[in-house]
Amino acid sequence: MEAATQPREKTMKVKVKIWRYDSQTGERALKEYEIEAPEWVTLLDILDLIKDQQDGSLAYRKSCRMMICGSCGMRMDGAAVLACKTRMYDIVQAGHVPVISAMGNLPIVKDLVVDMDPFWEKFKAMKPWLQPGYEEPPEGKEYRVSQERMNVIHKEALCINCGCCVSECNAMESSPEFLGPQALAKGMRFVGDARDGATVERLEDYSTEHGIWECTRCYFCNERCPKGVDPRDAIAKLGAEAVNEGIDRDMGAKHAKWFIKSTETTGWLRETELVPKTQGVISAISQMKFAMGLAVKGKVPPPFPPHVAENVDEARGLHKLVQQQGRQGYEGIVQGERSLARLDHHLREDGEVPPSEGSVGGMGSLTSADITPGEEPTAGKAD
Amino acid sequence: MKQVAYYKGCLASLSAKELDTSTQALAPKVGLALLDLESVTCCGAGDIHEAEPDYYLHLNARILAYAEATGSDTLMTICNVCTLNLRQADFMLKGDDALRERVNTNLRAVGVPPYSGAVEVKHFLWLVADGEGFELLKASAHKGLKGIKIAPFYGCQILRPSKLLGFEDPDKPWSLERIIEACGGEVVDYPAKVKCCGFPIIQAREDTALGELIQPIEQAIEGGADAIVTPCPLCHLSLDAWQSKLNAQRKKEGVDPLQPMPIMHLAQLIGVAAGLEDSELKFRRHVVSMKPVLEKLTV
Ligand code: SF4
Ligand code: SF4
Ligand code: FES
Repeated sequence: MEAATQPREKTMKVKVKIWRYDSQTGERALKEYEIEAPEWVTLLDILDLIKDQQDGSLAYRKSCRMMICGSCGMRMDGAAVLACKTRMYDIVQAGHVPVISAMGNLPIVKDLVVDMDPFWEKFKAMKPWLQPGYEEPPEGKEYRVSQERMNVIHKEALCINCGCCVSECNAMESSPEFLGPQALAKGMRFVGDARDGATVERLEDYSTEHGIWECTRCYFCNERCPKGVDPRDAIAKLGAEAVNEGIDRDMGAKHAKWFIKSTETTGWLRETELVPKTQGVISAISQMKFAMGLAVKGKVPPPFPPHVAENVDEARGLHKLVQQQGRQGYEGIVQGERSLARLDHHLREDGEVPPSEGSVGGMGSLTSADITPGEEPTAGKAD
Repeated sequence: MKQVAYYKGCLASLSAKELDTSTQALAPKVGLALLDLESVTCCGAGDIHEAEPDYYLHLNARILAYAEATGSDTLMTICNVCTLNLRQADFMLKGDDALRERVNTNLRAVGVPPYSGAVEVKHFLWLVADGEGFELLKASAHKGLKGIKIAPFYGCQILRPSKLLGFEDPDKPWSLERIIEACGGEVVDYPAKVKCCGFPIIQAREDTALGELIQPIEQAIEGGADAIVTPCPLCHLSLDAWQSKLNAQRKKEGVDPLQPMPIMHLAQLIGVAAGLEDSELKFRRHVVSMKPVLEKLTV
């Protein structure tokens, strides 16, 4: 009866390769699967079909199937994605067989399932709850937060804790203790919240060794986040807010302040002074041998006479003006978010698509299964 | 000749002068007439964006305004970090009339011409990887690299966030490879070519940075590369100058030192193929010697 009223769905043959891994036995293998599926399927649907019809032992996480719960983070060709957000149609049409693997920077439990404990530890370290900084309103009254103030944390509040950003964080890969993009974006979600009263404490907490200033600005987190949180921007907001509150003992903050000074004096960064200004005189002395080596090559130019940009007083004037205009701290970043959010649409409207035709070299080989970054389990390896 | 406003940035003005001289010498060969910007300052290198973002916006608006005043529609950068900082500020200003007006009022107050939004910020790489620039590059790279094996290193802020950069797929970039091949070189491919060189935290968190910058160097060695090429002077400084620190670290751990890996600026790579003079390429300013590569070229 149904067949008479509903035309049959169009199907396609989908091929994927999946890194199977068992942390208990240490066994791992790249297995290929082929399955007939409707044209509308997502990667998550494919995994479900494989598990149903071909291999019940395949392990992965899922829940909402609609980009809300954050359970289904995994890597496709080395890039972290939400499986339920990733449509297969174009990939199949291109004749590509994607390699699916577990997320990076977290230990793998089995197949595509990672141990999220380290992720939640960092999340908890941010004290992700409101610490109200106000008295309860009188009986029958309420405080309202303006839309403008809520806009400050709009993006950060979109986070679904999927871990896609953490998976690719270059700083965490080198320094696993770094709080990382998700936790710090969560931190900004509270620092920017008008109702929170612990801003200064939080900024102190987030400015420790593995906090704000350990971010290496690789922008992988912004690139991968499926919800548009832009964690790197959130970290910059925290940095700006910390500096604004005078919490600037960290070398990263000192470094940043020296840049500001340079633009006001010579216009250009005076690299010679950067080491002592950032690291202090003692470490500048211990860096001396290294610095001398660079000096020989002209890598550390002599401090005098510095190259001075013309009309550098204009920069000084601008700095004075903006300091009077009260858009200190994260405000300076938030004010530009409206324009930047419009960008996705503009780029598409203008048809300004990157030229991929004529692509040679790297691209062809990087899509091959052998060397795609992160295709192998990167953590919890048996050997 | 396409006239472009030329934004050197700090490094090429100071510690990476070799990048400036090779870019200046190469430009006419690839159809670019460089218009100097005398009044501009540092873009803030991401640091001012992180410390005083409103000042960052004004500082970059000032650079954009002076670029616009040259009459060119293109502000050419030669550094990843400058590219991202300027493009981000440019998009902030172009997409919001009220914000642009506020910034322009401030610019006028200190005597800077206002910025109307008529400039696009483009990295030198983008101008020579495609279109007419690429045709001219092919024609001028007549000396060739004779099968020298080159590992491309993109770094971060010329690829990500792709929303603000958008020239190529950040996970499957192709521009450097295309140029290496057009110059007669052989491409060495490796996963870390799109990762971070560690520079932004090389002073504040040196160990973390070293853990990053070792990856492209190790992988390029493994792939048999004669040299790495990068479009960013900060990546260059990090990979070139900090190699000695990687080796110092290895010595402490009792591990053999790494085979030295020469690092080239993009303009130098094309410059070698196009037959630029030593005085323009200035390889002697590099910490890791380029000699083995140059010797291989002369045989
Ligand atoms: S930008 Fe910073 S937080 Fe984001 S992935 Fe890179 S290092 Fe990690
Ligand atoms: S910031 Fe984005 S990528 Fe990171 S956990 Fe939240 S939603 Fe996922
Ligand atoms: S299953 Fe919930 S986000 Fe994908």
